[in-house]
Amino acid sequence: MTSTTLHPIRSGRAAVSSVRTILFLLRARAILVLIALIILFSILAPTFFSANNLPILAKHVAISAILAIGMTFVILTGGIDLSVGSVAGLGGMTIGYLLTQGIRFGGKIHYPPVVLAIVITLAVCCCVGVVNGWLVSKAGVAPFIATLGTLYVARGAALLISNGKTFPNLAGIAVRGNTGFPALGQSLFLGLPLPVWMMLILFAVAVVIALRTPLGRQVYAVGGSERAARLAGIQVTRVKAFTYLASSFCAALVGLIIASQLEAAHPATGESFELNAIAAVVLGGTSLMGGRGSVAGSLIGACIIGVLSDGLVMLGISEFWQMVIKGLVIVFAVAIDQVQSRVQAKFLPLLLASATEAGK
Amino acid sequence: MMRRYVAKIAWPAISLLLLAGCHRGGKLPPMIVVLVPSQDNPFFKAEADAAALRARSLGYRVRVDAHDDDAYRQDNLIDGAIASGAAAIILDNAGADASIAAVRRATKAGIACFLIDRAIDADGIAKAQIIADNHQGAQIVAEEFVRALEPEGGEYAELLGRESDTNAQVRTTGFHSILDQQPNVVRVAAQSANWSQSEAFQKTETILQAYGNIRGIIAGNDTMALGAAAAVKSAGKSGIIIAGFDGSPDAVAAIRNGRVRVTALQPAVLIAREAVDQADRYLKTGSTGKPERQIVLCDLVTAQDADDYENFEKIR
Repeated sequence: MTSTTLHPIRSGRAAVSSVRTILFLLRARAILVLIALIILFSILAPTFFSANNLPILAKHVAISAILAIGMTFVILTGGIDLSVGSVAGLGGMTIGYLLTQGIRFGGKIHYPPVVLAIVITLAVCCCVGVVNGWLVSKAGVAPFIATLGTLYVARGAALLISNGKTFPNLAGIAVRGNTGFPALGQSLFLGLPLPVWMMLILFAVAVVIALRTPLGRQVYAVGGSERAARLAGIQVTRVKAFTYLASSFCAALVGLIIASQLEAAHPATGESFELNAIAAVVLGGTSLMGGRGSVAGSLIGACIIGVLSDGLVMLGISEFWQMVIKGLVIVFAVAIDQVQSRVQAKFLPLLLASATEAGK
Repeated sequence: MMRRYVAKIAWPAISLLLLAGCHRGGKLPPMIVVLVPSQDNPFFKAEADAAALRARSLGYRVRVDAHDDDAYRQDNLIDGAIASGAAAIILDNAGADASIAAVRRATKAGIACFLIDRAIDADGIAKAQIIADNHQGAQIVAEEFVRALEPEGGEYAELLGRESDTNAQVRTTGFHSILDQQPNVVRVAAQSANWSQSEAFQKTETILQAYGNIRGIIAGNDTMALGAAAAVKSAGKSGIIIAGFDGSPDAVAAIRNGRVRVTALQPAVLIAREAVDQADRYLKTGSTGKPERQIVLCDLVTAQDADDYENFEKIR
């Protein structure tokens, strides 16, 4: 077996290096596409790559990136979380309710300070994550169905909170001691908008979890083969529950950021955000089958989606074309993903053999 | 196995239906069904609430439903209204062409249909079609927008509604019938923000980067105008004229504190009440006493008269 595969290799050392280059290009495709898009838009729209626009672009990217970071863990276990858009809407409405209506308690209305209101909101949204995790890991409901259910429940709950109305004026009132919420989405720190910092911190934490902690490795293991992971003694239930919790937490943050930026909470906020997040994750090379992918890829995927939509707006291209182009980019990216797996599988013996030879 | 499940579910369902059927013969007051595009939009909600309130006060049973701008869902809801023996339907429809068949079916089933806010492209089927004059409303907004930009004029951006929506088209046509006559008022950007506040926020932020000299933003509805106002504030710009459409309470509040310049109030509450009154008259006398197509003019809302308006209604 070995001798037959080794023979053609000796005759083609050059082939090995060219296969390596192709594989490298395929693997780095997301970042190459991103760079190409940035160059393209910088040429076509002079203000695109300017000091003023980059923070705004980063702020727009942050919304889908934060969702995508949470979603990556879910997808790595082989699941999916369709409820994130609704949870973002629920988060916005919860904070809106707390800041404008307060909590009735003991016959009086209490207005929680902003930090407490944010914590309550995160807790409310994380409940959705807990339910998702329970449904998927304990009740054995397919992730698509479980989170489709919570998508509707969370959206309905968001509508019920205000009976369909918008909560305006989230700036708070000084007498109630609940001012300051707009700072969350609008203030700058070291020249970058706060949401961008949140994205970066979440990204760093997610990368550390994914690559450096047992939990992260278990996420990959569960996605690779759930049965094998279970037999290896991994608490699959707990790992899965964590991923859905993380995803809901990220969605809640997005809801808070949007409500803070607009100083208003609308119950329909976040509709179809889940699709953007899934697109970002997939663009970043994470497999929907689970077990393969990276948080960094998802961040790049979110950048592609953000750059694409902002760039097309700057060029004045119509909404309809924007949708067509976005769809084509997604399909194209996943098609290349398949090519990569196939090329990799085909040339794996070749590469392995050359590696062993080099080692000799 | 399968059969047993079907039986388990089917029997209670059938017996419920039978029970419901028995009730229909009872002496319940006639029912008016109110169908609107959505209940999470303040405009449609105000319209639905006003219609429901008036109908209840006239002694009708009322059912309110939303079709989410989905003609198929609207079809099902109208079938539901026919099945439950409604006397009249107050309908803010899901499309000028796509709704004709459903309205015709309801009319054939003996239900009087009263269209509000949006017309259908057919006459003689509905008992009344009462709509706000979106074209006139857009024109008065554009006139005020131009006044605010005078005398030097300047560049402006337009935020369009969902481009497949008739009202989005009518409003932009209305805007441009005024704006395009001004040589010094130039549109440099136009984007659809799909009626959405957060989308308008993001797109305006980007547009302001691409075109630094923008002096005005005109939006196809108030929600988008408020998103644009938030973006202008976040960009630290001042003096940008923002115009909306609809007369929503939030926009009227923003006009009071100067963040938005102008909007056109669609008298949604007035129209909804009028439709219920005409339905009542039709059910009692067999005629509405009015022509089928009725057009109600929009009101201009600026800082001077913002206090006269509340929840899609002129109160003074």
